[in-house]
Amino acid sequence: MNDWDVRVTVNGVPHRRTTQARTLLSDFLRHELGLTGTHVGCEQGACGSCTVLVDGEPVRSCLMFAVQADGQQVETVEGLAGDAELSGLQDAMMREHGLQCGFCTPGVLMTLTAAERAGCSAEEAAGPQLGGHTCRCTGYAGIRAAIERHWSRRKDS
Amino acid sequence: MAHETPYVGRSMPRPQDPRLLRGQGRYVDDIEEVGAWHAAIVRSPVAHGRLTRFDATAVLAAGLARLVLGPQELARLADPLPTKWRLPGQHLTGIPVATTTARYVGQPLGVVVAASRAEAEDAAEQVLLEFDELAVVSDTVAATTPGAALLYPEHGSNIAGQIHFGSDDETLTAAIDAAPHVIDREFRVQRIAQSPMEPRGVLAEWIPGTGALTAWLSSQSPQAVRQELAVSLRLRADQVRVVATDVGGSFGGKNTLYVDETMVCAAAMVLGGRVKWIEDRRENLLAAYQGRGQRARARLALDAAGRFLAIHADIVGDLGAFASQAGSGPFQVTGLAIEGPYRFASAGATITGVYTNLVPTCAYRGYGMQEAAWIRERLIDEAARELGLDPVELRLRNLVTPAELPYTTHTMLTYDSGDYPAALRRAAELADRFRPAPDAPGGELRRGVGLACSVEVTGFAPSALLEMFQIHWAGWESGRIRVNEDGSVSVTSGVMAVGQGIETALAQIVADELRVPIDWIRVHLGDTAVSSYSDLSSQASRSVTLAGGALVQAGARMRERMRGLAAGALGVPADAVTWNGAVFGGGPGTGTLTWREVAHRGWMGWGRGDAARIQLEEVADFDPPAITYAYSVAGAAVAAETDTGRLTVEAYWSVNDSGVLVNPMLADGQLAGGIAQGLGLALLEEIRHDPETGQPLCTTLSDYLLPSPSDVPDPVIEHRCTPSTVIPGGFKGLGEGGIIPTAAAVGNALAAAVPEIAADLVATPLAPATLWPMLDKAGLADG
Repeated sequence: MNDWDVRVTVNGVPHRRTTQARTLLSDFLRHELGLTGTHVGCEQGACGSCTVLVDGEPVRSCLMFAVQADGQQVETVEGLAGDAELSGLQDAMMREHGLQCGFCTPGVLMTLTAAERAGCSAEEAAGPQLGGHTCRCTGYAGIRAAIERHWSRRKDS
Repeated sequence: MAHETPYVGRSMPRPQDPRLLRGQGRYVDDIEEVGAWHAAIVRSPVAHGRLTRFDATAVLAAGLARLVLGPQELARLADPLPTKWRLPGQHLTGIPVATTTARYVGQPLGVVVAASRAEAEDAAEQVLLEFDELAVVSDTVAATTPGAALLYPEHGSNIAGQIHFGSDDETLTAAIDAAPHVIDREFRVQRIAQSPMEPRGVLAEWIPGTGALTAWLSSQSPQAVRQELAVSLRLRADQVRVVATDVGGSFGGKNTLYVDETMVCAAAMVLGGRVKWIEDRRENLLAAYQGRGQRARARLALDAAGRFLAIHADIVGDLGAFASQAGSGPFQVTGLAIEGPYRFASAGATITGVYTNLVPTCAYRGYGMQEAAWIRERLIDEAARELGLDPVELRLRNLVTPAELPYTTHTMLTYDSGDYPAALRRAAELADRFRPAPDAPGGELRRGVGLACSVEVTGFAPSALLEMFQIHWAGWESGRIRVNEDGSVSVTSGVMAVGQGIETALAQIVADELRVPIDWIRVHLGDTAVSSYSDLSSQASRSVTLAGGALVQAGARMRERMRGLAAGALGVPADAVTWNGAVFGGGPGTGTLTWREVAHRGWMGWGRGDAARIQLEEVADFDPPAITYAYSVAGAAVAAETDTGRLTVEAYWSVNDSGVLVNPMLADGQLAGGIAQGLGLALLEEIRHDPETGQPLCTTLSDYLLPSPSDVPDPVIEHRCTPSTVIPGGFKGLGEGGIIPTAAAVGNALAAAVPEIAADLVATPLAPATLWPMLDKAGLADG
């Protein structure tokens, strides 16, 4: 019923799948492609845990159908470092204890990665960009410290 | 790489972080689900009613579901879940899995299983439900009004039971009646939702051939869940394995087995396969146990010199539709903790548990101690205001001093160690940085600072104490250390990793005891087939204190065994053997052995005395002689808009003493996280219901407001260190010290900013909807 063909490139790897029209992008990534790093916290667009990049823009993958990503480039947390070393932001999150349970972390990383590429300042990253995410563990202090560390390291390099 | 002594006391990143940062976490919804059926729960749409029809005939006839279990089937399959901590008089000792009377909106009535979650949800909507609706009581006041509808008519009252702690009523009444000053208020702490970012979930697998149930389940207490599953599903303990992998936050809401989770496991047993259920956010806000929900009339009596003569709290706790496993526990702890760090001539509390047609309540970080701090610290600031005293000076007159420790309260808590006045003086110094100038203009933006003191029960244990309170949990913890055949070290315990970083902290402790590099050590938690027995596991700020205390002992024994093996191989007495973190040496001319060589000899069974054990495994059980008490003093600087009622916390600071800190960075993370949750409680969060129908009004994160980054300033955190006198290693807990005093500090800061409304600041959240009417009444709302 209502099956659709979806061709999508995720973290540089092309995929073709047949899926139901009502399948959310978040469920498609997690349960059809096995990329479980993208987490689903509210299915309502409020918490930000499911944030991925679609054609470079951060989106809530729980508010988008998989068919809407047809023909597009999707980036998820699994693609940030690949098999290589942690990205600078990931490393800063570890050093500043910017994650505890780790459930909201992938979404936070995707938003901040897009902010970094877009040339946002540290203040913009820690303010309006982080403002779209809910974290229940850290009180945000560790995440803000990670942003500070990473952005100041970039300035120095 | 040699051991870099010591690891305890060092801020170290967590070894599991790269995995989580790469998206390789393994939460329950991430576990391979090949062959799994998917469940949706049929929930009650009414708050109170007799279920007269649960009919899935059409759903099954149309092939929409693989299986439907309703009350009739569940009654045959599952016994009630056992409760662990009951109020005297509480008639309910179990939590029925099968129910024919709905008592709250969202109560699980049955389970539908289909090929996908979407199909299961579709089918669940088509199960026909009919009810004889009954009158609803949606709060404890309505529930205790004469003539109120009864949840359990056979019990004769909505009052579940009652208990009193501390000085007796006559003593308290006499002290209060004779006192020159009495502060008397009606306090309230709202219902809140623990709201872990990962909701609950279970993947259940029944293998008929072996009669084995495995439940991968998001839990902070997998061992307790295993016992509860065995009892409810009439299995032997050895048939049940519970595995909690990564847990996306818990905060008290995942410390027991739930009815809906039990239904999913029962469905797996019926189908002889795998059934998966992942809670969505709506269900989490609708039907997961909630926290707080308490009213209290409380009085503080003082003499002319400001000495505390008495504190008395008459506490009414909202149990919800039934008492959850620990049910009244948080309300009882409010009574036990009412005195905080102060000396009172008399003190006591009466706790009454009341049934309402709402979701049952259970543990939430701060567990009654936050409510106690709210009551006590608001009363003290009100006393200072009414008597014209400085609130810091008033507190200093009454704080228990170091010379008085150990100090036993009227409710029989014995504080072990600390310096409460020093912590308060330091927090007061920090307050001076943020205090508005005396000549600051009034206007529509008022600023103020407030402080609050608290004591935290940590390492909740002594098993004999729990027996005395008739709490059916063992309090002890254990730790097991195995030196593997290649010298690597495997560690386990009964506590659970829920994001707090306990694996790292335990590895630091073991590395110091063995004097080996920390990267030789791996900590395995959360799988009941591997980890140690534990009833309470990771709750009540007990993981580092009790598992750490056990591992200090097991580690010391293992170090001596390794030394003994090395001595045998080197041909010298054990006390001649040195271990420098790289090699064992036996002195001049005896050669050296690596740790790995000694471990290998051990597992070969070589060079031991006849009586010596072979396996390089040491287990230590640790049942502490007493509870150990952390404490903290918190401060908040607020700005209040008098024309809108908007309250902003501009700065926050905490002076905390949790004894010896294993990893200060993780300790700061625990405090900062607790503070943020405390600010949510203080400013934003409230589970609300329609009073007539009991229908929930907050079922999404758009109407249940969690703190966002802009609501939470970076806290200033200072640590003091008074080692515990009852825990090896000197550790005290710190999971709850952040949240306990937060709301009280914010309330006191607001009272200082706007003294015109101070007397009315008795309830949280301090949200505009609550504050604006007060400001309006005081003539401040028009600016």
